[in-house]
Amino acid sequence: MKFPLFGAFTEPKTEKHHMLGPIQKIDFPMRRFEPDEEVDICIVGIGSAGGVLVQRLARAGFRVMGIEAGPFWDTERDWVSDEAGSSKLYWNDLRITGGEDPITLGANNSGRGVGGGSVHWAAFTPRFHPSDFHVLSSDGLGADWPISYEDLKPYYELLEKEMPVAGPAYFPWGDPHGYPYAPHPLGGVGDILVEGCSKLDIPVVPGGPVAILEGSHGDRPHCIYRGFCIQGCKVGAKQSTLITHVPDAIRQGAEIRADSMVARVNLGKDGLVTGVTYVDPKGHEREQKAKLVIVCGYAIETPRLLLNSACPGFENGLANSSGTVGKYLMVQIGNVVLGRFEQLVRMYKAPPAHALTEEFYETDPKNDFIRGFAIQTVGPLPIAFAKQMMAAKGAWGWGMRRVMMDYNHWAALGVLGEILPWEDNRVELAEEKDRYGLPVAKVTFRLHDNDKKIAAAGVKKTTEIMQAAGAQEVVQEARYAHLVGGARMGSDPRTSVTNSFGQTHDIANLFVCDGSLLPTQGSANPGLTIQALAARTADFIIANGADLLSKHPSIISFSSTPVRQDLSPPEAADKGVPRMK
Amino acid sequence: MKVQKHKRHTGSMASQAQQNKIPSAATQRLPIDARTGEPLAPRAQPGYYPGYSTLRQQAFWDEATRQMVLARVEQVPPIRFFTSKEAQLMQAVCDRLLPQDDRDEAHKIPILNYIDDRLYNRRIDGYRFEDMPPDHEAHRLGLQAIDLIAKHLYNKPFIKLSPHDQDAVLQTIHDEQPPAAQEIWQRMSIHRFWMLLVQDVVDAYYAHPYAWDEIGYGGPAYPRGYMRLEGGKPEPWEVDEQRYEWKAPPSALSDVYRLIGGVTHDHKRQTPGQERTH
Repeated sequence: MKFPLFGAFTEPKTEKHHMLGPIQKIDFPMRRFEPDEEVDICIVGIGSAGGVLVQRLARAGFRVMGIEAGPFWDTERDWVSDEAGSSKLYWNDLRITGGEDPITLGANNSGRGVGGGSVHWAAFTPRFHPSDFHVLSSDGLGADWPISYEDLKPYYELLEKEMPVAGPAYFPWGDPHGYPYAPHPLGGVGDILVEGCSKLDIPVVPGGPVAILEGSHGDRPHCIYRGFCIQGCKVGAKQSTLITHVPDAIRQGAEIRADSMVARVNLGKDGLVTGVTYVDPKGHEREQKAKLVIVCGYAIETPRLLLNSACPGFENGLANSSGTVGKYLMVQIGNVVLGRFEQLVRMYKAPPAHALTEEFYETDPKNDFIRGFAIQTVGPLPIAFAKQMMAAKGAWGWGMRRVMMDYNHWAALGVLGEILPWEDNRVELAEEKDRYGLPVAKVTFRLHDNDKKIAAAGVKKTTEIMQAAGAQEVVQEARYAHLVGGARMGSDPRTSVTNSFGQTHDIANLFVCDGSLLPTQGSANPGLTIQALAARTADFIIANGADLLSKHPSIISFSSTPVRQDLSPPEAADKGVPRMK
Repeated sequence: MKVQKHKRHTGSMASQAQQNKIPSAATQRLPIDARTGEPLAPRAQPGYYPGYSTLRQQAFWDEATRQMVLARVEQVPPIRFFTSKEAQLMQAVCDRLLPQDDRDEAHKIPILNYIDDRLYNRRIDGYRFEDMPPDHEAHRLGLQAIDLIAKHLYNKPFIKLSPHDQDAVLQTIHDEQPPAAQEIWQRMSIHRFWMLLVQDVVDAYYAHPYAWDEIGYGGPAYPRGYMRLEGGKPEPWEVDEQRYEWKAPPSALSDVYRLIGGVTHDHKRQTPGQERTH
């Protein structure tokens, strides 16, 4: 059955390609390295960072292999336009969570499968502010980055074109800039955020920045405003590395081994890593030799893998001479403020992410806390909303039925507040083992005083905005969003795991590249920054390839590397002109 | 392709109630028409969107989604995790946590079966709180606790209690003031157990197209998408809201909103099965 555009749409399924959206395909078979063949670079985890890395490194001519624990998606066959049916996109294997203020995992902040979390992010893509890179120096808490905003800026611009990002011509906060694609029309929740902010004289940006197509782009159609961003964009309008970078990587001769769980990174006698051991789709343990390994497992699985790779010389975990692997884990304050309106809102339409304000992002001496928060549109679908009503109102029974019958009258805004890096917020190994026999991660988390004050201030301001927009009733669900830290970069090898390029201080041919590198996180969604850092790490490896892949690689201490503008996927090359140059 | 047919329900709620004679015992369980004070007769589609049917739009869904949603409706999983005694008790608990007395038999959503299926297949959400046993054990323990509280308060098993007394038993857990089963609450956090229970019933209920119709939610929306984003306007295939005022059944305690444990929701009380937002 096939009714183009407005009807059912079934493409014949073949072994020869995977659909990535209704039009784009990846042709198979892809390159296959021989079982005992040593590759130049092995990337563990093909998510936000791994996807960008595998593309860049393949295009630069390296023999590169990605190993991914989850499946290689065919989006037409595997993904559904359904809330309950999308749980396979998330990392659902067991993890233990605890501490005073425990964080949730799974659907909220972790992906599994090629594209990783980028297949189910809401795709807000604000840049970090220049102030984010020196929080410790400026405010006396948190950490400084080993790089400045200026080091990352060219990569922000590059990734904004590659995704590409839709947003306003003038984005006023941080380092003011504009976006290559026009902002999106507003949905019901965006209307409310703009209305409330305008009444209170708070600057607000409608229609982005989001990595969702506002016009068609190559083989990717534009957004159809169906509101299922978090369930995986079947349209292919929302960016994920699965659709923007992985196809080019495969064309360039990279191999991606899906459904393969890396159990440990192996260390040789000379103190260099020799590759990884993984469990293949049939359950057999296999070894993959590589001259260089990049761990891109995100803020839980990356520390877990390094800890599970403990060996003589690294008894406390690979590349963990500093003892910081797993520490300084961060989530953001993600409280959702929900308002009921007399008029209908129908918040299931339009991408959840489509308007925001960063007016309260920076440290303000008038506050009794440092740093701040952003306020963003969110658009919970019915099941998510029902759980929010359970938490926020204590709804159950007939009360649940009643408030759910009013679903279309409610709007939801998300606070996105900065939580500072604290040593006691951490990932360790639990006693329990997973289906591969590997110890699972145990996460311990608590909010510190500054974090709690930001949460309270964020909820208060967002409530005022809801009320100014005309909400009759306003309630809130306390929660977290995102996940970063756990293997942070830094200039001091005693207090950080890697240098600014993700090269571990301890082992020259072992890199980390994903959200776990972040020393602090601002009040910006981390997806763009993670992908930008990956492009920067790729440039570094490319520029120093001869050294890094040699028998005696060096740990490199300088902090700049030439920006390779020429390695973008061809769909993105030379397209889109960021304004405000 | 099968197209599910739905009866259109028209006419006022009160006249429906008069037409269908409702046995007096059942009226205790039925919501009340606020205008007439009469019980609202069970019907195919409660809610403010009469005549709205997501399933009727299935020709406009993609194949993978259509198959999944139709399987959810048509292939209800059997009970395999709960013993028959447990299933009876869990059914009674579900009937109060997410009551469906206002739905006719053909349009009740089999919540228990979906929960059983999750527990039987050991599907989890990717994490377990350190103060909780695995989900399937938590449910077993919770059922024991519910029966212990029922016996403590009313000297009867939960399933023999009136809807009002069943609500009262459950409310002690919601309020975190259980009068019995303390040894079980030593083994698992009471508020996390409560949230696990409620999240499992809403996961099952609001995944069902009948529930989408009830609340006026658009349902699957690919490849067609939406055209009318602003002002809460319906698409041509959606319907306008037609509100009516109703009261919960006289027996019910669950129509009053009270915070879980009497505490404003904070970061200590993260929910199991939490969905993504940002």
